[in-house]
Amino acid sequence: MRDLKHLQYFEDLLQVANNALIKQAKEEGKVCIAYTCENVPEPLVNLPGTFSIRLHAPNTGSMDIATYYMTNLLCEPSRALLERAIEGGFNFADCVITPDGCTMMNRAVENMELLNTMGKGNPNFFHEYMEIAFKNTENDVNLSVLQCKNHILKPLHEKYGIDISDAAIRKTVEDHNRLCRMIQSIGDFRKEEKPRITGYEFHVLCLASYVCPKHLIMGKLEGTLEELKTREPVEKPYRARVLVVGSEMDDSGYIKLVEECGAYVCCDRFCFGSYPGRTEITLNDDEDALTQVCRHYIQNCHCPRMMSMDKVYGRKQYVADLARQYKADGIIYEQVKFCDPWAYERMLGSSMLQHDFGYPVLSVDRPYNIASSVGQMRTRVQAFVESIEIKKLQRGGKKA
Amino acid sequence: MKTVEKVINPVRRAGEQSPGKIYDEKLKVRRRREWRGVKDTFYDYTRWLYLMSVLGRFIVVPRNIKGFFKYRWMMSYLFVPHGMDKFTIGLRDEALRIAHTSFNFVIADVTKAIGNCFRGDRRVGNDKAYSDKCVITDENSMVTFMMGFDTDKVHTILREVPTMFASNIFHQFNVMHYLDVAQLNGIPGDVCPMPEAEAGISIDDDFCVLGSCAVQNNTTCDGSLMGNGIIAKRLEREYGIPTFQLATPLRHKEPDVLEYAAEEIKKAIAFVEEHTGEKWDWDIYFAAAKRVNYATKCRIAQMEINSTPYPQFFGATFSLYNDTNYMGNSGRVPDFVDIDRKLLSLAEKGYKAKRMYAKEYRHRAIVWGVQPQYTIDMLYWMVQCWGVVPLTDMLSVINTDMIAEEDTPENREQAYRDMAMLNMEMIMRNHTHGGYKVLLDDLWELCEKMNADMVMMWEHMSCKALTGMHGMFEEQARERGIHIMWVSHDLCDPRVFTRGAIRDQVSNYMRTVMREEPLDPTLENIPDNNAW
Repeated sequence: MRDLKHLQYFEDLLQVANNALIKQAKEEGKVCIAYTCENVPEPLVNLPGTFSIRLHAPNTGSMDIATYYMTNLLCEPSRALLERAIEGGFNFADCVITPDGCTMMNRAVENMELLNTMGKGNPNFFHEYMEIAFKNTENDVNLSVLQCKNHILKPLHEKYGIDISDAAIRKTVEDHNRLCRMIQSIGDFRKEEKPRITGYEFHVLCLASYVCPKHLIMGKLEGTLEELKTREPVEKPYRARVLVVGSEMDDSGYIKLVEECGAYVCCDRFCFGSYPGRTEITLNDDEDALTQVCRHYIQNCHCPRMMSMDKVYGRKQYVADLARQYKADGIIYEQVKFCDPWAYERMLGSSMLQHDFGYPVLSVDRPYNIASSVGQMRTRVQAFVESIEIKKLQRGGKKA
Repeated sequence: MKTVEKVINPVRRAGEQSPGKIYDEKLKVRRRREWRGVKDTFYDYTRWLYLMSVLGRFIVVPRNIKGFFKYRWMMSYLFVPHGMDKFTIGLRDEALRIAHTSFNFVIADVTKAIGNCFRGDRRVGNDKAYSDKCVITDENSMVTFMMGFDTDKVHTILREVPTMFASNIFHQFNVMHYLDVAQLNGIPGDVCPMPEAEAGISIDDDFCVLGSCAVQNNTTCDGSLMGNGIIAKRLEREYGIPTFQLATPLRHKEPDVLEYAAEEIKKAIAFVEEHTGEKWDWDIYFAAAKRVNYATKCRIAQMEINSTPYPQFFGATFSLYNDTNYMGNSGRVPDFVDIDRKLLSLAEKGYKAKRMYAKEYRHRAIVWGVQPQYTIDMLYWMVQCWGVVPLTDMLSVINTDMIAEEDTPENREQAYRDMAMLNMEMIMRNHTHGGYKVLLDDLWELCEKMNADMVMMWEHMSCKALTGMHGMFEEQARERGIHIMWVSHDLCDPRVFTRGAIRDQVSNYMRTVMREEPLDPTLENIPDNNAW
């Protein structure tokens, strides 16, 4: 396939946390809200006059200082973020909002706060920590509304004078939905028998929508969508279609590696992915926008931290539905090493998807930066692809 | 660096002066029992007899014999006397009596819990009528949501206590099999072994199966929360036992989570009512609330005694009793009141007599972090071997606020908030979660309040909430001039850190950093790695 016109542009943006577009948005006078978890309702951190950046630490190498503070037993993303913060890599942030989603990420940000890694010279800088929902009930919606008011909207209004009205939230939801439609439309090409976009390319575009000011990438995303409509797919692009499911994934190199092994990543269900993060929010006029946004995030949350059994079973059903929708031959359950929530979710998910839903599953843990352990992962994925092919052959070429 | 005045024991302690000499590697544990002088040895022997009578009364019940051969974890039953003995090393006088009074009560309580499990267990006793009135809940769960149910009509079964928690106390290798099962099924080895072992027991289908319903809680950590799903799946899908997930906010110091937590308590109560057919009784609740407050008052008094130069409450047995009383009981059973009273009376007597439990007190330490001290006689060893007095431990530093205990319409609403508060402030999570202040700042305040010059920091290598603040502990301890002694362990997996390896870390610190020699060199290396 011909290279996408803007792919290099997006790839370049992902090379550093403090990318050129953040600088540009700040020069426009916008407030930069940094956050660390998919459980933060994105429209609330993209109100007029603000833009959100989900913190990531691309090209992480040494994490020595963060390891001193947090030991080598904590997950690499949390240490990588702390290391980057200590290095001054997140100095663009005007505030940090952290849900108490997983312990390790929470501790990473607490260390950032205690070490005063950000906000120097900005008297309005603040850290806020939120409690987040555990279940899909109205009690959880009420909790979420209160938390968003107290830990996002109120401080934003008081410190930076941001408009937090219902109208402002509705406007932001519209923008958010536009972005979601765009990403989903691009992602829909992955459903084709001969897809005209690779899983890697899609991940780059999707990831950019989390770590760049959204309003500054919309034009190029639209251009990419138009370009894809006429892009010619390659004749024999893959040996097996796989759905990648798992924990925090801001390393496009991982998707690239999987595809280099002959698989095609036809769908993504992980933090920083298009599912569930790029799902449109439907608002009605009967209820305030904030409550509806919170309800959307609770109902569509597939984070393993949601503990009620409807969510536990629902997460596996969701994966199975995606696999069916995107015609996946197999599923890769990945977990970044030392992540507790996904350690258990990966075990239960890989077992249920295999035994209850009949999908071949590869269950792996991985480093934050796949470049540090390419060989092992490649061997695992290659073997998985071969096993899917063998199953296909054994079943006369029918879907495994 | 901060220093505290050494306190020399003016009295020669009766009996054995070097208890380390009685350990023998070839004999697995000890050559003989510790000689504590005539009076204390006789007392210790009578308590041993009492334990044997508890165990004897348990095993003569036929269904208990069946359960004994059915479940792998019941192996620990055989090692209960040893479990008690390992927690009395070097103890005399009131401390010995406090250890026996508290821990024997816990043992009797756990034995009763096992008997109850077997009675309702579909595979053992299969008493369906009894089972239908049972509510099973987690090992590390606060049972405040059961405070208003008549204990004769609805039975709270902390199913994981005898299966995992207690069995690990009495036999350090007992849960290794379940850890292996969990890891063979794909759970990594780096998660906390406690919820992992519980998940392993469920995967191995080695829990008793009983109850009309189950209430699970996101007790202490991400691992604990996540293990619930595995256990609940088996309960619901294989055994048809409905489960309720009682969500408990993590940021428990924030006032904006209380109403949510109170609402969850209401739902849990409604769930229990629905499945057991029994009704919540406010008279029973407020009677239990009075007992909770009495236990809180006793705990405050205990802390005050331990703030003096002559602390009286030591070690794992006392901490375990507090765990059982605070979380597993939550005021429901009146018997705990008498024990509370007796323990306090013993401690006051010991304090007035200026009783000391070693030749010398050199350092006063707060024991912080997630502890494996239930499976190792660490805290007694510290004071006997190195003169480091453990003043209190993180798991014993729990709620000190009183809850509403008079039955009024306002207090009935307040009661839900009180239960929610206690639930959020359950042991361990009240410090490991809720922001860094409850972990760091609370520790330094405690050091100040209890005049401690040292922190013995248990570094549970799989506890991410603790290790995530490692550097901050170091830096802040340095700023305050507090000695911080890191002691790594892997909670209930002795393959990662043996008892000897755990103790060596203390000895190395005391020798190399503090430049001190042991009070009792015979205790420095105890060959008990392979003991139960």
